[in-house]
Amino acid sequence: MTRPDAAGKLRGAVTFGTDLERPGMLWGALVPSPAAAGRLRAVDLGPARRTPGVVAAIGAEELRQLLPSALGRERPLFPVEEVAYRGQPVAAVAASTRAAARAAARAARVTIEERRPVADVEDRYPEWPGPGAASDPGVIAHVRAGHGNVASAFARATLVHSETYRTSGVCQVALEPHACVAEVSDGVWRVTSSTQTPFGVRDDTAEILGLPAETIVVDGTWVGGGFGGKGAAFLEPYALALARASGRPVELALSYREEFRLGRSTLAAVIRLDTAVIDRTIVGRRVRLLLDTGSSLPGRDFATGYSIGFLVGPYRCGAVEVEGFGVRTNKPPFGPHRAPFAPQCVFALESHLDGLARRLGVDPLEFRLAHVWREGDETFLGQKVGPFGGERALRAAAERARAWRPSVAEGHGLGAALGFWSTGTGAGGEVRLRLDGRALRLEQVEREIGSGSVIAGLTAVAARATGLPARLVRLVASDTATAPVDSGVFGSRTVAALGRAIVQANEKLLATLARRAGGGPVRLEEGADGIDVVGPAGRRPVAELLTPEERDGGGLVAEGRHYGNAPPIDPSRVEDGTFYPYTDFTASVDLAEVEVDPETGSVRVVRAAAFQDVGAVISEPLVRAQVEGGFVMGLGEALTEETLWSPDATLLNPSLLDYRIPTLLDVPPLEITLLEGAPGAGPFGAKGVGEPPILAVPAAVANAVADATGRRVRDLPLTPERVSRALIRP
Amino acid sequence: MPLTLERPDGVDAAIAALLSAPDAVPIAGGTDLLLDLEAGRVRSEHLVSLAGLPWARVERTGEGWSIGSTAPLRRVERSEGLAADHPGFVEAVRSVGSAALRHRATLGGNLGRASPASDLLPILLALDADVTLVGPAGPRRAKLDELLRGSRDLALGRGELIEGVALPPRAPSAYAWQRVRPANDISQVGVAIARPPGADRWAVALGGVLPRPCRVPAAEEALTAPTPSEEEVRRAARIASTAARFASDRRATAEYRRRLVDVLLRRALARASGGARP
Repeated sequence: MTRPDAAGKLRGAVTFGTDLERPGMLWGALVPSPAAAGRLRAVDLGPARRTPGVVAAIGAEELRQLLPSALGRERPLFPVEEVAYRGQPVAAVAASTRAAARAAARAARVTIEERRPVADVEDRYPEWPGPGAASDPGVIAHVRAGHGNVASAFARATLVHSETYRTSGVCQVALEPHACVAEVSDGVWRVTSSTQTPFGVRDDTAEILGLPAETIVVDGTWVGGGFGGKGAAFLEPYALALARASGRPVELALSYREEFRLGRSTLAAVIRLDTAVIDRTIVGRRVRLLLDTGSSLPGRDFATGYSIGFLVGPYRCGAVEVEGFGVRTNKPPFGPHRAPFAPQCVFALESHLDGLARRLGVDPLEFRLAHVWREGDETFLGQKVGPFGGERALRAAAERARAWRPSVAEGHGLGAALGFWSTGTGAGGEVRLRLDGRALRLEQVEREIGSGSVIAGLTAVAARATGLPARLVRLVASDTATAPVDSGVFGSRTVAALGRAIVQANEKLLATLARRAGGGPVRLEEGADGIDVVGPAGRRPVAELLTPEERDGGGLVAEGRHYGNAPPIDPSRVEDGTFYPYTDFTASVDLAEVEVDPETGSVRVVRAAAFQDVGAVISEPLVRAQVEGGFVMGLGEALTEETLWSPDATLLNPSLLDYRIPTLLDVPPLEITLLEGAPGAGPFGAKGVGEPPILAVPAAVANAVADATGRRVRDLPLTPERVSRALIRP
Repeated sequence: MPLTLERPDGVDAAIAALLSAPDAVPIAGGTDLLLDLEAGRVRSEHLVSLAGLPWARVERTGEGWSIGSTAPLRRVERSEGLAADHPGFVEAVRSVGSAALRHRATLGGNLGRASPASDLLPILLALDADVTLVGPAGPRRAKLDELLRGSRDLALGRGELIEGVALPPRAPSAYAWQRVRPANDISQVGVAIARPPGADRWAVALGGVLPRPCRVPAAEEALTAPTPSEEEVRRAARIASTAARFASDRRATAEYRRRLVDVLLRRALARASGGARP
């Protein structure tokens, strides 16, 4: 399959956010807070204004005149009293060149009465937070839930396995930094942005600027990678405020260092797991999570209330009690990263289960098979488990592991892990189909972010639903003023949610055509001269079935919508916080063979196999590309990627040299097995595949290291130094 | 910041260009300098390209090997016969960055920028390499160990350029390194060993230590035998891992670096001397 965007991207002909230009455009730059915590005393923009080329300089003071609604209590554009993290924008400037804007931003004088920042969750809570901690000012989110008698399960246990895991922060590392262009005229606040969520940016921006959502129009561009990092308003409100202040279009784009320093990334966590076992059966689980949420947690409980389920996992485990705290630190706000915080949870749980199985003298894969969900089981929140490929994926991995085992060399090890996910169709969306005699237009808001889910995935669904060849399907993306509403390209939900909407719109289209053709059922086919309608009454060109208005105008229109369906969770099991039900149940199993250097601690993954529960394949090359990409990204999380923070909350490695994503030399041969047959929430029974392939990679690698060395590394990533420390541990 | 790039086509013109502006800096591959310029760690508006100089040669001479300063490292590592004569030097060259980067990066640039984590300085120190220089006062020759004053600090005169490096005809040698990520990363520690012709012991040099890569004479004293015994290797490794100054930073703790020196010195010796690996 040739990707429809491949040629343009190879030629450099597509427009990304950083390529945007407008006549008379200025460049913006943000004035960063020089301290991570403290009281903002003064922002002197005089020197910035005197920098040659500067047209506008705005801070909270200027906003009071210009746009007082942008200084709301909840989310003020600029801090008014306290700064929350180093680099937090306290003002912004616009100038005729990018260099002038940056020079002006550097010239601004920011005075802060510094305080000692909180750099780490364990600074705030060296011990597990006591009763009543949920209302501490340092706690951003608190979740607590469970069912069954946990105390009794642990009292009856023949073995209790207790461990603490620590995970590091990870950045999305999209090739393209954040960038947008803002224009304000005639009461319309228009921003063109490299974003995964045009409507999300619109609503977020409206809230931050204190403007009605309908006055803001967001248009997308080609996105040079998102991975969760471009899923909410970020630069857009600053750019709009600068455009308003200067009366000119303003482009705002981050440098790559700023991308690391200011981008919303996933932060560190401490995870405590206790599992109670009677003989070889799990009868109880206690989960405790301290998650660093930086200065704020957009989406509130998502990172705790959703992720914490991955610490229970897709297993029957008797009585369960989970409690999680989102803890405020002086870092940039927490942000999602491909399967937000889930690979870290899977690493902890699957390492824990692996070690427990070994303690019990049971094969780790057999131990998982004995407990893994079957359809009809119940989640710990009382939701019925739907079709789930976990058992099949585990059996396939066990078979592969048996085949590999005889050739696993001395000093090498084999490890496997199971990750679980749910397609995010709870985030709903709508599409519009427009059929004329020649083509089917698929109108929606999302832009391609690189995975192919929009440009190739939605087109493939439309082609399959209508029966038309893909070249007759024209994908049209437009702005939030004209396109149907949608949640965004994230959560493995694009093809699933919008695909279901496409299927529904197609049904409406065919129903209308059937009525007009004198009765159905009808279908669409490519005819000699355009598109034909074929039904009991024979074959007729579509054009003949259109009204004069439709023929002269935009064709026959049908809209489709999908707002997810998830069986409810049992509210009596939730004590505090928000938990989310699953729309479907997706399994992802990885098997890895590693070589461990016993003296330096270096880990090399020498081969791997991924077993992906996909429900149904819509486009095999795209699905395989997601599995490959997810694996490689997971490899980075497993071995090398982490944000390093100093005790004063300064990011120590804001560069691609010291924040190490894998190179091609680090990627082993990967066998990919796609498992169909356990249908999911998407069209034709498909499950989302954007996120699941990353889930189990760090855990599989860690389990392979344990297999090779007999030592368990409980900190992620498994850098050579960490592994070496585990090896010399007495 | 406006930048001018001059591209002189001869040595005298290059020296003149360097003298013409107080902030003029030479640029060859630019793989290190450009990062520092962008980050503001080096401030210069006048770059003098060395691409037009006749120094991109790698050749055998009457006294050994001559490696030109502007030869891309990729060409150096592919030079016929060099790996057989100087296995450790070629190991070190191959460890720099990635193949793509080595098509641009040069030996002269690596020396001139004198990074404390350079992968080439330790092996050149162990080989006791001569650096050939040309400046306003004419050519001269100096030992690398004397030129290397500290981190990012090579004792070059104003307007002086590195012409190349002179290596002996051949020397058993090895370079062992450790990184978080094998390619495109900075070595946490590098250990180079070599036994130049006529030397009465193995030379040992370390990278990734403070304040600059250095020789470790105390460890060398234990390594006089062409094939040191297990006990001698252990002793040398122990000495080396305590002799130098190690720092804890974002790339490694001092404790880990110390452990690595011990491991890597043993491995390098096993490779180069054909001796037992304790």
